[in-house]
Amino acid sequence: MLLTRRGFTTALTGAVAAPALIRSSFAQGATVKIGMVVPMTGAAAESGSFAQTGAKIALEQVNKAGGVLGKPLELVFEDDQTTNPGAVLAFSKLASQPEIVAFLGSIRSTQMHAMAPDMLKIGKPVGFGGTDPNLTKLGNPWLFRFRPNDSYSGKVIAQYGGKELGKKKWAIVHSTDAFGTAGAKALEDSLGDNGGTLALKQGYANQSQDFTPVVLAVRQSGADVLGTYFTFETDLGIFARQLRQLGVNIPWVGSPSIVNVSALKLAGPALYNTYGVADYAEDSSEASKAFGKAYREVRKVAPDNQSSWTFDAVTCLALAMNKAGSTEPEKVRQAMLAIRGHKGAEGEYNFDKNGDGLHGYNIVKNDKGEIKFDKRIDFTPNLG
Amino acid sequence: MSMTATTEGAAVRPRLRWGLPAYVVLVLVAMTLALVVPKTGYVLNISLQATTYAIAVLGLTIVLGLCGQINLAQAAFFGLGAYAVGIGQTEYGVNFWVCLLLGTCMAAGFGALLGASTLRLGGHYLAMVTISFQQIVTLVLINWIPVTKGPDGVRAIPRPGFLADGSTYLAFCIFMLALLGFLVWKLRDTRLGRAMRAVRDNELAAGVAGIDVYRTKVTAFALSAVLGGIGGALFAGGFSYVSPDQFSFAESVVFLTMVLLGGVASPIGAAIGTGLLILIPEWLRFLKSIPGLYLAIYGAAVILIVLFMPDGIWGFVRNQFDRFKRAAGSVLGGDTLQLSGGGTGSDMVMEVRGLSKHFGGLKAVDEVDLTIRRGGVHALIGPNGSGKTTTLNVLSGLYRATSGTIMLNGRDVTNLPPHARTAAGLGRTFQNIRLWRSMTALENVMVGAERPGNPVGGDSAALLARSRAALAFVGLEDRADEVVANFSYGHQRAVEIARALAGDPALLLLDEPGAGLNSSEKVELRDLLKRISARGLTILIIDHDMTLVSEVAQHITVLNFGRRIADGYSADVLKHPDVIAAYLGTAPDVAA
Amino acid sequence: MDLVLQLLFTGIGIGSVYALVALGFVLIFRATNVVNFAQGEFSMVAAFLMVVFSVKMGLPYWVAFIFALLGMACLGAVFNLAVYYPLRHRTYLPVIISTIGASIFMANTTLAVHGPEPEVLSGWFDTPGFMLGPVYLDNQYVLIIVVTALLVALQYWFFEHTLLGKKLQATSQDKEMASLLGIPVAVMIMITFIYSAVIGGIAGILVAPVLFVSIGMGATIALKAFAATIIGGFGDVTGAIIGGLALGVIETFGAAYVSVPYKDGFAFLVLIAFLIFRPQGIFGERVAEKA
Repeated sequence: MLLTRRGFTTALTGAVAAPALIRSSFAQGATVKIGMVVPMTGAAAESGSFAQTGAKIALEQVNKAGGVLGKPLELVFEDDQTTNPGAVLAFSKLASQPEIVAFLGSIRSTQMHAMAPDMLKIGKPVGFGGTDPNLTKLGNPWLFRFRPNDSYSGKVIAQYGGKELGKKKWAIVHSTDAFGTAGAKALEDSLGDNGGTLALKQGYANQSQDFTPVVLAVRQSGADVLGTYFTFETDLGIFARQLRQLGVNIPWVGSPSIVNVSALKLAGPALYNTYGVADYAEDSSEASKAFGKAYREVRKVAPDNQSSWTFDAVTCLALAMNKAGSTEPEKVRQAMLAIRGHKGAEGEYNFDKNGDGLHGYNIVKNDKGEIKFDKRIDFTPNLG
Repeated sequence: MSMTATTEGAAVRPRLRWGLPAYVVLVLVAMTLALVVPKTGYVLNISLQATTYAIAVLGLTIVLGLCGQINLAQAAFFGLGAYAVGIGQTEYGVNFWVCLLLGTCMAAGFGALLGASTLRLGGHYLAMVTISFQQIVTLVLINWIPVTKGPDGVRAIPRPGFLADGSTYLAFCIFMLALLGFLVWKLRDTRLGRAMRAVRDNELAAGVAGIDVYRTKVTAFALSAVLGGIGGALFAGGFSYVSPDQFSFAESVVFLTMVLLGGVASPIGAAIGTGLLILIPEWLRFLKSIPGLYLAIYGAAVILIVLFMPDGIWGFVRNQFDRFKRAAGSVLGGDTLQLSGGGTGSDMVMEVRGLSKHFGGLKAVDEVDLTIRRGGVHALIGPNGSGKTTTLNVLSGLYRATSGTIMLNGRDVTNLPPHARTAAGLGRTFQNIRLWRSMTALENVMVGAERPGNPVGGDSAALLARSRAALAFVGLEDRADEVVANFSYGHQRAVEIARALAGDPALLLLDEPGAGLNSSEKVELRDLLKRISARGLTILIIDHDMTLVSEVAQHITVLNFGRRIADGYSADVLKHPDVIAAYLGTAPDVAA
Repeated sequence: MDLVLQLLFTGIGIGSVYALVALGFVLIFRATNVVNFAQGEFSMVAAFLMVVFSVKMGLPYWVAFIFALLGMACLGAVFNLAVYYPLRHRTYLPVIISTIGASIFMANTTLAVHGPEPEVLSGWFDTPGFMLGPVYLDNQYVLIIVVTALLVALQYWFFEHTLLGKKLQATSQDKEMASLLGIPVAVMIMITFIYSAVIGGIAGILVAPVLFVSIGMGATIALKAFAATIIGGFGDVTGAIIGGLALGVIETFGAAYVSVPYKDGFAFLVLIAFLIFRPQGIFGERVAEKA
């Protein structure tokens, strides 16, 4: 061992003291800052990097168009470590910087729940991507959602399966996390309106290594259509492959993760001919196509919803600030609520009084690994 | 044997008269700072997290530091406390303090249950069971949605009215940490604390000294869970949101790392470790541009700490500090040791009938009878492999007898575990000395004095006086506050005898007390045995050294091949032809 | 009945994965009396090495395989020198902590070097599987079962019938005695670590086509494998295999007939039950420490 005990102690002291020095040497610039809580480590580190790219593309476009109130826009990232306490700390770290005027929260609903009290306290607009419907019903006026909530995805899946595919007997497979549980419930609740019945509802714990019992249960149930809410791509990949291997080939309409880039790579042919609800579909509109083009230039792969919502959120926040002519939180909030018909990558934004901006989903089809836009189903929002 | 092996150099525990007032002042200053200094939400959150985590880490100071048992489920106990406060308040409208109490009781209950079912196993098995418990708790928190709200977690957890403000709450948490830290610090020098340390240093000797090893471990485990529960309950109030991923296995590992980093031996170490491990990843956030880098550094740091700072940061600092300390001069009480010899019941202190111990087909002890009269020294001799030590181990309960009965002071102790036999009046020493090496001579002897059933009673002043008297009796009172690992072999032997004497047993079993001693030490030992005998305590001694045996023993029993071949007054037995044959038939070197 | 057979095959398949990783645990435990909490990370690192050599650099599968295993051998050696060897005279506790630290380090270094994306690694076979009567057999699982059986046989032969194997055994049973007999104990321990890193690596490469290659792939498997080791008994290779298979089957049937979300809980419940009622494991020695 070359490293002596004394040497190690000194090194430790140095390592502990250094960051403070580095940080203080940064000068404060005249920029408008938006803080973003994003996973850089942990299970969702990969999606986090997509989210950062989306936000950075928006940043570049905003700044090219003159920035916000004449100043360049700047993004400040904090790592949430893919955990709830990590998210709370990351957000409070951002919130303690008074020059940050607005925030981007998380795409994960549990993290949003964890941060929501602090977001209410700080009283500045927060754009987020978590799709738990309750998030915009907390009575927290500062939350603005940039993805359609799960009550819509459930409705869209049920409607597409029932009306477009003409199937009645549903098997629902869902992750037992917050997202999966809420989504499955929304889907179950919408079956009746579309003439469907429930044959099987089966939860699974995230990061399972094997889905044979689940697949066999689907096969036994006699369902003629499958609706799924998967959280992690590896789970989805294993499930999809085992589903095909055990000979289940009924139509399958899944939550957004089914058309996610990693899932396509992992599952390959097992996901061919499946349908997914997608808040982002590249061919669904001109704005979506434009974002897709910009994203491909940076990342060389197709974009997905991980990046499109952050793109829209940064764009909308900048838009609202420019419209409000101020970065004062209440004025920005009013300007956000007044946004009507803004064409974003995810769809057309019309914020209702709860802060929900989108009110429908795209249905896309996996055609031999290519994601093809099939249909957009929108519901009329109550804009009160 | 223990994590604190290298603190053995620390001869003296600092006894600072100004320690307590300084501590109180320090805590008051910290609380005032918490109340007065304006801070951002970030600083408040970090401080609350550090304070409440530190309370849970204190629990590990007890279970790991004092008792030497691993617990990889501290986050689960932390979670039980947190969920009790969360669900209790938001769902059932129960008062915060009631919830806190409930959560703590729940943690204690599970801790005791888990401990009771698995603490008979040690080491890796315990590690695995705690991991399993941890995983099951996580699964239940995620999946039992009607009760736990599932992965959504519980939000909007209120604090009690007068603590609603973040700063006030932080000050309160600091107060709780300080209070609990003080209690844990005090625990070290209580009867229970000494018992835990004895279990940690040498389980076997602890049992023989009258400590219920199993109960001590379960208690340590339950106390650790209690602190985990309290920490979690306060955490829930502080963060006002709890969800399953906050109490995962990864967090248990973090807790463990915290206590190791700071130093397992002291509550101060717990506080240091927690503070650093919450702050370091925050400071290292500047490394965030490469995902994984800072956790990689964290992992490497854990290895380096284990390699280079085995006692943690506080242990390291203490070692530097203690170099310059000298033993504080304490008042010597002198030799006032009273030995009751187990009272004046029947003439027989011990009666053994038909005692056998078989290992598979081997009859190590075969139908041995043994009668030990009150007063005097009784020797059990025999050539190597004749079954002497096995007999002693069966008598003290380390081995279970295959058949036969053992009566001690008129009571049947044949089926009692070691600690219960000690309670019934047995004291013993070991051939290869079994002291608690990281404890001082006085602490070693005090554990002996704390033998359940010691006529001195439970009064701590009386116990302390008796322990000092026992040390004085063996001539080591002036070294009472030194750690025994630094003692010479002869002195360690003397401390071991003093430990047994302090418990005022009815019968003292000495397993080859002369082994490894030089000739002048042997003379001292002989005189010591005579003095013990003179004060009325009966001794059963095993030794090879026939000179020693013939000088001190009035009565001798001879074993060969597990059977008794002679028994009677020393002079008669030593002339017995079978005995001479047995010895000459083996090795002439009887004075080994 | 078809259902039961299908579940049985799956259970044995996934159980073989646990058993394979458990082999590595048992080896290190027998040689050093230490549980290596980073064993799962060996599998993860090997799978990533395989991705680098086979997918990114385009080497032929078997060349990539050999390179990956060579890499694992080096990793095993470094691991021994950095994580275990300096602590060999301390108790099990610091070593446990140090291997936990190593596991965090390895997982996150891989994350830092490779990035978080999961990867696909194809197996040796072009087709994914075949039907045997009513039961679908996944080729990769068949391979895993066969390789596990082969490795166990190989290991048995190695320990019982070769000089090196016997030396290793002597070392694991009594280090002092072994060194008195002139066996270089340090070298034996080094060999053990290298071998178990390679075994862990083989396990990782074999399961990669089924479970994909991700940073977290090793951790869950290792925990189950550890449970399997205890159920089987720490001292014994056969025990670990039976323990692994039993765990896989119990889990699969538990998921099918009791509850899917609590699937991971069954393993641990079985484990706790074992520890309470039969702590020596199915085949193992007594747990009680020597007096």
